[in-house]
Amino acid sequence: MRLPTKEEGLSLVPLIIVLLLWEIIAGYVIRDPLIVPRFSAVIFSIYTLRELLIIDILTSLLHFGIGMTLAFSAALPLAIAMGWFRNVFRAVDPIIEIIRPIPPLAWIPLAIVWIGLNHYAAGFIIFIGAFFPILIDSYTGFRDVPKVLVETGNVLGCIGNIKLIRYVALPYALPSIATGTRVGMGVGWMCVVAAEMFGVGNSGLGYRLFQKFYFLHQMDYVVAYMLILGLLALCLDRLFRHFVEDKLFRWKKGIVK
Amino acid sequence: MNHKLKLHNVTKEFQSEEVEIKALEDINLEVKPNEFLCIIGPSGCGKTTLLRMIAGLDYPSSGEIILDGDRVSGPSPDRGMVFQEFSLFPWRTVLKNIEFGLQIRGMKDKERREIAEKYLEFVGLQGFGNSYPYELSGGMKQRVAIARALATDPAILLMDEPFGSVDAQTRNVLQEELLEIWKRTKKTILFVTHSVDEAVYLADRVVVMSARPGRIIACRDIGIPRPRKRTSMEANEIREQLLMLLGSKHQK
Ligand SMILES: Nc1ncnc2c1ncn2[C@@H]1O[C@H](COP(=O)(O)OP(=O)(O)OP(=O)(O)O)[C@@H](O)[C@H]1O
Ligand SMILES: [Mg+2]
Repeated sequence: MRLPTKEEGLSLVPLIIVLLLWEIIAGYVIRDPLIVPRFSAVIFSIYTLRELLIIDILTSLLHFGIGMTLAFSAALPLAIAMGWFRNVFRAVDPIIEIIRPIPPLAWIPLAIVWIGLNHYAAGFIIFIGAFFPILIDSYTGFRDVPKVLVETGNVLGCIGNIKLIRYVALPYALPSIATGTRVGMGVGWMCVVAAEMFGVGNSGLGYRLFQKFYFLHQMDYVVAYMLILGLLALCLDRLFRHFVEDKLFRWKKGIVK
Repeated sequence: MNHKLKLHNVTKEFQSEEVEIKALEDINLEVKPNEFLCIIGPSGCGKTTLLRMIAGLDYPSSGEIILDGDRVSGPSPDRGMVFQEFSLFPWRTVLKNIEFGLQIRGMKDKERREIAEKYLEFVGLQGFGNSYPYELSGGMKQRVAIARALATDPAILLMDEPFGSVDAQTRNVLQEELLEIWKRTKKTILFVTHSVDEAVYLADRVVVMSARPGRIIACRDIGIPRPRKRTSMEANEIREQLLMLLGSKHQK
């Protein structure tokens, strides 16, 4: 790890001020940990809860992983078909547009009836949340392949849908697929808490936050878990950007910026 | 057979929202092997359409296009094409762009890298092999497109205003390079341009087209021995004749 530069250090200042304000307002103005627990109390809770926390993080990541894997592997083939073949788009798009606006959480009863109270039911809700952003950005990528690139492929011997998709459309669409995946990850993560609130298991960040801490009125624990949820999402996003977007899409630089 | 490519009564109409646009009418043309043919004509007269049909990317409404005795029925790597607009694959480096056709053909990595490097040198871009297209200037991009079209060793090279977007100096350099390549590789080249100067400098024969619907209104052998001087008397004379043809026929 390198030390933060001066500019990065400067952007830490407002953060520190906010945390100080939080501490002071909670401790000296509101003075009711049931409404706003103090920052220091929250940090202390994270420490107290560390063992439970690891288990819950792993469970939530499991749910998230199941949902994202399902969403990605279902959305990508459909996106290729919809983006590349006009007729598939015409046939499928109305169905997609009807299902898409249904909030993922509305699927919870069906998920429980269909799948039962287990990890896969939680995964299913996350799948619903992540599927549409991935699908829509990806098929847009495939649909927008410039005609001249397809024709360039043609005159160089790249003829037929399979070859064209593999050598022209897929590489062209990859950045859109990545963008969709990133957005999908964000939506999917929001679904994690909700999916777990309904007792699909007996661990997980959302489960603990809602089923245990909230019922016990342990607001410092609740806020501790909220912070962890936010930080984990941030880490996942950064990791994705680091390993996928920055490495794979050097060529995009000239187009985006 | 003494011609490489033959266009016989080729006509092209586009159907666009009720109206029918007649882009090309009654095109008859024979191109000899190893000939450098330039096509000039006003904007919108169907030059791109003509090349696209020879490439097999579009089809004549009537008439036929015959290449080496066979009717053209679709694109094939034996006809290379350099497009009017930029057409490099932005996700591929320069070398990988040049290799594309060879890769599709299933050639081994090492072999195709060697060929790609050869053509990279051909167009004078050594040292840029690992750059991405966004890092290149317009003229450099067109050179890469030319190298890519050459790499699969097509018998015919179709070039659609390849130097349209580069400045005059670079343009001259690229013209020299192209003549050099043409001399070395003995290809048949069909070269579309707006510029009479360019046509007179490059071509064995210049085809002049009229405004829409595009027709061939003249074929002119240049016949000046190479290397040519851009400002020679003969060149000036031919230029003047061609400009007159263009001027008188495309103004209604
Ligand atoms: N796909 C198409 N659909 C409808 N009309 C078309 C299509 N392609 C070309 N045209 C029409 O055909 C005519 C010839 O177009 P073309 O692109 O061949 O001209 P051009 O000679 O290459 O012009 P420029 O020198 O500007 O490149 C134009 O009037 C154009 O509007
Ligand atoms: Mg054109």
